Amino acid sequence: MASASPITAADAGLPDYVTRQPSGFYRSANPGTKLAVAALEVVAAFVLPGWVGPLLVLAVVLATAAMARRMRGLAAIALATSPIVGSILVINLFLLPGASDPIARLGPLAPTWSGLSFGLQTVARLLAFSLAIGLVYLTTAVDDLLADLARRGLGRRVIFVVGAAVQMVPATIERAGEIVDAQRSRGMDTEGRIWRRARGVLPLAAPVVFGALTEVEERTMALEARAFTAPGRQTLLRVPADRPKHRVVRWAAIIALIAMVVLRATGRLV
Amino acid sequence: MDQLTRWVRRQFTTRVVVLMPVAIAINIVLGATVQQGLKLPIYLDSIGTILVGVLAGPLAGALTGILSNLIWGYLLPSPIGTTTIGPFAITAGVIGLLAGLWGQLGLFRPRRGRRGSLLAAAIAVVLVGALALYTYARAYASPDQFANITGYKTSDFDQSRVFFLGVMVAYVVLVGVALYLRRDVGAVLAIGAGLATGIVAAIVSAPIAAVVFGGVTGSGTDALVAAFRAGGDSLYQATLKQGLLSDPMDKMITSFVVFFIVGSLSRRFVSRFPNGEKAIGESPGTAPQDSPQS
Repeated sequence: MASASPITAADAGLPDYVTRQPSGFYRSANPGTKLAVAALEVVAAFVLPGWVGPLLVLAVVLATAAMARRMRGLAAIALATSPIVGSILVINLFLLPGASDPIARLGPLAPTWSGLSFGLQTVARLLAFSLAIGLVYLTTAVDDLLADLARRGLGRRVIFVVGAAVQMVPATIERAGEIVDAQRSRGMDTEGRIWRRARGVLPLAAPVVFGALTEVEERTMALEARAFTAPGRQTLLRVPADRPKHRVVRWAAIIALIAMVVLRATGRLV
Repeated sequence: MDQLTRWVRRQFTTRVVVLMPVAIAINIVLGATVQQGLKLPIYLDSIGTILVGVLAGPLAGALTGILSNLIWGYLLPSPIGTTTIGPFAITAGVIGLLAGLWGQLGLFRPRRGRRGSLLAAAIAVVLVGALALYTYARAYASPDQFANITGYKTSDFDQSRVFFLGVMVAYVVLVGVALYLRRDVGAVLAIGAGLATGIVAAIVSAPIAAVVFGGVTGSGTDALVAAFRAGGDSLYQATLKQGLLSDPMDKMITSFVVFFIVGSLSRRFVSRFPNGEKAIGESPGTAPQDSPQS
């Protein structure tokens, strides 16, 4: 039978170190609550007009991250968006259609104030969106998220697909590295000129793809041997806690999100 | 209702459920390499999605596409994970859905030794050649223009151009192998399916790129958006035009790769998937292999 209430390590007969004990209001929140808050922040960043939405969301996300002591991780996520931030600023600064308020003339190029404003606003919105979701990632273990989704009734097939895919991406990258080493030991040039490296793409990509596909048969049998398709609900070994205060926050976020969408759809939030 | 439930369940056998994470990993690893590493004006991030769609059906394909982008965007650490890919989950879902439909129509089935292959080859080569030349002329007019309008370094220009040309050459070689040496007209239908998928994907993704990212996504396609905006197009027009240039090219190549992958896998392996028989055609003179519940 599926367990509906949170279990402690002692209840499950497990040692304490098996289960993580996050502390702090945000970090200890149920993954569902964090997702609901992130969804509200993402919608607010796009639905609230002008600078209000993105700046408000950024302020809330940064304050939450500071409380959760995840500022460094958040900074890394912000840094990872720098290529797209650079593109957005450069393209809008010089190429915003209809902009006619130049900051300066640089030969054929004319950066504009409205292009700068539009670019910065888009960047603020992008950062608000990325950091809101990034904070959930930084404070929630994938297996906690999947366990919570399973408790809420998400099918075991989807849970398996997501869990296996998250594990498989680094494994595939590692396998690709091993294949590169193997091919190099046979004399393939992977660090020379570009055309030589390009020539090596097929001998590298093909074993990665076909190697991964050949594992499908073995994994299918392994799952079937473990009664993957057996009827009935599975027993969950561990369920993330869902405290009343976090439930209140979750429902408040969901109601605020719906209200915001309705107000925007009816034209009262322009 | 019962029939609908059976149709849905049939697409999510254990074998398909095991294939889906493999497909997602292929999508992410190849997509991240091409988009973040090589900065090509194509994506190559839906090989797994189209493969699942063709072998399992539209719903399995759509779910693979959606989950690929959500996992890539929100569950993987940097530098692989990039939150900007998440909103395009809708496009990825549509691509998987269409791939499932093409698979059920048998458009990825090998059709060897039939007449008319030469004409089909000519049409395909002219179509792809024209698109390739147009993309090349727009994105790589000069290193300075490339650097100025995209913000990338001038050194990225040569690398990006070489890889773009490399992909095009590889594509032409593959078309040649399929159509002339193997006499396989099936490749042309797969390319056609990719073209249709690409056009729909461009129409679906243009508003997402415009609204969420101001038309800029940090990949090699930004050069195209910049070129169109320099020509006076509005944000939506520029992203749509960029999509219509990049997506059909990308999906044609992807469909072609999937066509080859399906053709290279053993008949026994492929026929065990829900749409396996449609994907490879029934084996002449032999009874279908066992089709267990899994």
